[in-house]
Amino acid sequence: MSRVLIYGGLLAVAGLVQVAWLARVEISGAILDPLLPIAVAVGILRGAEYGGMMGLAAGLLQDLLGGGPLGVNGLAKMAVGFASGLFERSIYIENPLLPAVATFAGTLLSEVLLLTVGQITGLGGAAATSAPRLLTQAVLNAALAPVLFRGIKGIEIRLARTR
Amino acid sequence: MTELLLGRRRMAVFVALFLFVVVLLTTQFRSPDQRAVGPLGTLVLTALLPVQAGMVRIADSGEDLWRQFTEIGRLRVENMRLRAQVAALSRETAALREQAAAAARLEGLLELRDAVAYRSVPARVITRDPSHWFNTLTIDRGALHGVARNSPVVTPDGVVGRVIEVTPTAARVLLIADSRSALGVLLQRSRAAGVVEGRGSDRLHLKYLSRTAVVNPDDRVVTSGLGGVFPRGLVVGRVVSVTREEGALLQEAEVEPAAALDRLEEVLILLPRR
Repeated sequence: MSRVLIYGGLLAVAGLVQVAWLARVEISGAILDPLLPIAVAVGILRGAEYGGMMGLAAGLLQDLLGGGPLGVNGLAKMAVGFASGLFERSIYIENPLLPAVATFAGTLLSEVLLLTVGQITGLGGAAATSAPRLLTQAVLNAALAPVLFRGIKGIEIRLARTR
Repeated sequence: MTELLLGRRRMAVFVALFLFVVVLLTTQFRSPDQRAVGPLGTLVLTALLPVQAGMVRIADSGEDLWRQFTEIGRLRVENMRLRAQVAALSRETAALREQAAAAARLEGLLELRDAVAYRSVPARVITRDPSHWFNTLTIDRGALHGVARNSPVVTPDGVVGRVIEVTPTAARVLLIADSRSALGVLLQRSRAAGVVEGRGSDRLHLKYLSRTAVVNPDDRVVTSGLGGVFPRGLVVGRVVSVTREEGALLQEAEVEPAAALDRLEEVLILLPRR
C-alpha cells in the first residue's frame, strides 16, 4: 500500500512538474519527460510487470494532465517500462551508464510507438517526430535518468528495510 | 519450471495491460471529443488541477521576474545605443545647419557680388583682434588676390570696414565700429550728408548733420562715395536716435550698423575694375 502511495505521489509530482514547468522549456522542440525515466527505472529495478504498470500509470497520468485521448502515452510508456524490465536479470544494475542508456533507448521506442499509435488512430504526429527532435528528446530524458534512477533505488531500499 | 511460470505470468500481465490500453483507447476514440476521462480521471484531475494551477502561477511569476530582469539589461543596452544614435544625429544636424547657414551667407555674397559695379573677392574671416573685439579682423585674402590697402569690405547686409594692412595671403580689416574709422554718408531719404565714426562699441556715431536736415529714427544711412574709399550707395546702418542740442549748428545721431560686425564669417572685398 505504501509503495502505491509513494509511487503515486512521485508520478503526480513528476507529471505536474512536467506539465506546469518543464513544458515551458522547449529545446529543439523536445520537452524533458521525467515520467519515462521513472518507468524505465522501475522496470529495471522491479521487473517487467511493475515496469509495465508504472509505465501505464505514468502515461495515463500524462494523458490525463494533457488534453489528448487517454491511453496514447499510456500504451507507449507501458511498453517502455515493460521492455526495461525484460533485461532485469541479464544486465548489471550497478552500471552507472545503465539508466541513461536504457532511458535513451526507451525514449526512442516510446516515440516510435507514439508515432505508430498516432498513425493508426489518425491523430497524426509525424510532423512532430523529426530526427533532431527525437534525438534531443532521448538525450534530455537520458540526462535526467541517473538522478531519478538513484531516487527510485533509494525508495526501493527504504521500502525493503521497512518490510 | 519457475522461470517458465515467471515468463508466462509476465506475458499474461503484458497482455492484460495491453488489452486494457487498447480497450481504453477504443473507448476514447469512440467518444465525441476523443476523450472521456471517466469518474476516476475526474477525481484525479479534481485533486491535481488546483496544484497544477498553483504551479503554473509560480512559473508565470518566475517568468515575469526573469523577463523583467532581462528586460532591464536589454533596455540598458538599447538606451546606450539610442543615446549614441542621438549624439551622432545631433552632431550631424549641427553640421548640416552649419552648412546651410554657410550656404545662405555665401548666396548673399554672390548676390551682392553681382549687384555692385565693382570687382569683388570673397574672403573668410580667420581671426579677430582679441583685445578689441569689434574693431579689426583678419581675412584670408591678400595682395596675391588683388586686395589693396583701403579696399572696402562689405557683406550683403552692409558695410564692414576697410583694409588697413595687406600681406600676400591675408589682410587686416578695420571695422567701421573702430574709433579710428570715419566714412562719409548720406541719409537715404533726406539726402543729408554726414560722417559716421566708430566708437569701439556696437553703435556708430553720425555727426556733422546740418541742423536743418530732417533726421528720423529708422532712417537708412548709406555711403556717400566721398573720400574715395567706399563706393556710393552701400548700406551702413539705420538711425537709432537723434540728438539736437539747443543752439548747436549741427545734429548728431546714433547709428546701428547694418552688418553684424560681431558675427562675421564671410565677407566680400570690393576692388576697382581693371
